Amino acid sequence: MNKTRRIETTVELVRILVAIGIAYLIALIILYAISDDPIFIIRQFVLGPLSSQRRIGSIINLAIPFTFTGLCFCFMYAVNKFNLSGEGIFMFSGCIVTLTSIYLGKSGLPPVIMIPTLLIMGALTGFVISLIPAYLDAKLNANIVVVSLMLNSILVFLSIWILKYGMRDPSIGSLGSLPIPETARFASIFGKFKIQAGIFIAIIAVIVVAIIFYKMVFGYKMRVVGSNPSFAKASGINMLGTIILAQLIGGSLAGIGGACEILGNYDRFKWSASTQHGFDGLMVAVLARRNPILVPITSLLLAYIRIGADVVNSKGDIPIEFITVIQGIVILLVAAEEFMGGFKKRLIYKAAKDDLKSDKEIVVQEILADDESKTEARKESME
Amino acid sequence: MAQEVLRMDNITKIYDNGFVANKNITFWLNKGEILALVGENGAGKTTLMKVLFGLESPQSGSVYINGEHVKIENTLDAIDKGIGMVHQHFMLLPSLTVAENVALGIEPMKKGLFDFNKAVKMTQEVADKYRFNIDPLSKVEDLSVGQMQKVEIMKVLIRGAKIIIMDEPTAVLTPQETDELFEQLLLLKEGGHSIIFISHKLEEVKRICSRVTVLRHGYCLGSYELENMNESDISRLMVGRDVVLKIDKEDPKPEEVVVKIKNLVKINETGKKVIDGISFDIRKGEVVGIAGVEGNGQSELSDVLCGMDTFSSGEVKINNQDIAGKTVHEIRKMGLAYIPEDRMRHGCAPDLSIKDNIISDRFFLPEYRKGLFIKHKYIDQLVDQYIKDFEIACDDKNQPVRMLSGGNIQKVVVAREFTSGSNFILANQPTRGIDVGAAEMIRKTIVKKSRTEGTATLLISADLNEVLECSDRLLVMRKGKVVAAFPKANEVSEDELGEYMLGIKTMTAKEMENVL
Repeated sequence: MNKTRRIETTVELVRILVAIGIAYLIALIILYAISDDPIFIIRQFVLGPLSSQRRIGSIINLAIPFTFTGLCFCFMYAVNKFNLSGEGIFMFSGCIVTLTSIYLGKSGLPPVIMIPTLLIMGALTGFVISLIPAYLDAKLNANIVVVSLMLNSILVFLSIWILKYGMRDPSIGSLGSLPIPETARFASIFGKFKIQAGIFIAIIAVIVVAIIFYKMVFGYKMRVVGSNPSFAKASGINMLGTIILAQLIGGSLAGIGGACEILGNYDRFKWSASTQHGFDGLMVAVLARRNPILVPITSLLLAYIRIGADVVNSKGDIPIEFITVIQGIVILLVAAEEFMGGFKKRLIYKAAKDDLKSDKEIVVQEILADDESKTEARKESME
Repeated sequence: MAQEVLRMDNITKIYDNGFVANKNITFWLNKGEILALVGENGAGKTTLMKVLFGLESPQSGSVYINGEHVKIENTLDAIDKGIGMVHQHFMLLPSLTVAENVALGIEPMKKGLFDFNKAVKMTQEVADKYRFNIDPLSKVEDLSVGQMQKVEIMKVLIRGAKIIIMDEPTAVLTPQETDELFEQLLLLKEGGHSIIFISHKLEEVKRICSRVTVLRHGYCLGSYELENMNESDISRLMVGRDVVLKIDKEDPKPEEVVVKIKNLVKINETGKKVIDGISFDIRKGEVVGIAGVEGNGQSELSDVLCGMDTFSSGEVKINNQDIAGKTVHEIRKMGLAYIPEDRMRHGCAPDLSIKDNIISDRFFLPEYRKGLFIKHKYIDQLVDQYIKDFEIACDDKNQPVRMLSGGNIQKVVVAREFTSGSNFILANQPTRGIDVGAAEMIRKTIVKKSRTEGTATLLISADLNEVLECSDRLLVMRKGKVVAAFPKANEVSEDELGEYMLGIKTMTAKEMENVL
């Protein structure tokens, strides 16, 4: 049996690598077909993102919000609730945090107080917002996917409304908020890499989430509830509380993500459409197989593909939309759990057959002979 | 020389989790014989039959019918080749009539519409031919279990099956219904049908079969003429030792009442009284058994007692605390331990580890945690000890439960519930579908806990042998009521029990007065 476990883990890993490999191969073939200078484009796509310190920094900066929203969806997944409000929360939290920072900026608070306050504000926003679909689902049995998607639309337009009527800077030509005060902005670190300081918060978040999942009582409850709700009920676990709280924690993480994104990369709030970070997070969580420890890795992978697309877009004749196609292929193959299932089964059968050879066959004569000697012994002792 | 109608040659079946259910099994079936296929649960009987019926595809091996090599890809193939299977759990539509059930899949048509009259006629013909006493117009939900089984057999016959697989047909029957079934099977045998009879009740095997094929741990230990074998020979081949079906136990010394059930009534969503005014006590140090044909309110009673479901009226007290409106968590705190009927649904989380499954009812206790954190080291030690104590065959405590065999999964459930420190154990079908060794251990532990620790136990089981052996007092449930109560289970015979289960006899309230 131990062998089966090993095969399952190995195949899982190989499967993801092969999925990515196939997606790249398809991408390369298409590039070859539609580009005038395919070799150059391919090199740009594969190596471009790693060609300068700045670009590597961009990958990491892009991976930070993915990590937050990825962790968010790990929680939603853990309790089997497809609460998609992370998308809207990310943008709305950015908006609320900007608004708060503008107000607090006037009071001249130092960064050590300012930044934590704003992060808490972001988390709180996510906490409160995610309560809406979670509560409606639990109490009124409203379809959580529909509710959270509708909620996302509301949040997007609410953010734009706040931007337009609450904090618009009339002195700039485009639509944008008043500047975020210097005391609230994250420093850019590691010199030429220009990585935003939010990376530390992301690292801490991953560690905390891993502890919640695997070390804490709450994480245990969450795993039982997500794995088999009927069993959780029969064991006397408070399902409702666990399911709601998990979603609230998830929402808070998306909220912190939005805050870090705004404070780390922008000088003013100027999002006028949904940022897609939430849905990217969904993708990250699926790729990481709901395991929070793998979230940073899959975030980096997704970011790498995105930056590759940017590079190709700026250097060559390939439109950025093309990259979305490649992403789709990767997700399709990784999310399809039975992809390479036949290969896995063959390995398992083979291992089982090998075991069968060393398995001692039950010999009938032995059983009966053993028995006869016993009965004889019994007879003798009776005599 | 008998004519061989079926041969399965060198069948090896490996499941996707790496479990080898059949290891190079070869056996054959002669025309007009009843062949017994015996083996413990998990020995591979059902898998082998699923391979034959096209429900599973084997990794290697071949099937011959009438000497001809055939490939059975799916059940339609199997039916086409004259193979029929009567499943252990009936595959019937309760709200349709017998005729509609029998004709399902081979519906006679008239002008593109279902010809009901023709279906009735077809069913009646089969019933007459094989002497089944069943009205094709009655609804399946109104039939008894024994009659439902007849419908299943008719379904197989009308499709022209010559080889009939019966998967533990007597498991759900009372002794009287079993007799009737056997007469029917002998009739079929004379009519030239060949039957594979799966059972682990050896006296039944001796009664109607001529040959026996023994499976054990996926191997075939050969086929034997039954006239040369006695029951203990077969059981030794099955398990490698004599199976002790008797449990030695001292008389109980019941003390104070632990569970008090008074006038309990449960009306379900459809307005049917599924529990109809039940009252009885369970005392400290005794095992109360409930026998009955399945579906007579036992599952509902179990659900109500553990808090998975609500009840309509009446009163249930565990250790003097009322359970009305309480959650499962609160009732467990009052002293309930619960072995559920369906272990994969309510007894475990298959994807989680043995360890995670064992602590599910107690992780919140101060002993198992330090503030918000789980005390992993302490729990690891404890779980390792339980794995040893309850002889759970596994790699280690981190192995997902789904990779274990049925018997070992049930041992995980039992390890949790028996170590919870509760003084009331509700055991619903605790040994269903598990191997003899594991079943024996579980039964012995139930009795031992009541004697040494004074646990009050309610044992609900469809296995008559189990309730008769393990219980002190024995109740019989029928249509949501207690229809019989015996002060000493070991003085009751299976036949007598069967009469009460079928409703041939009923005790009056006065007769049962002192036993409840």
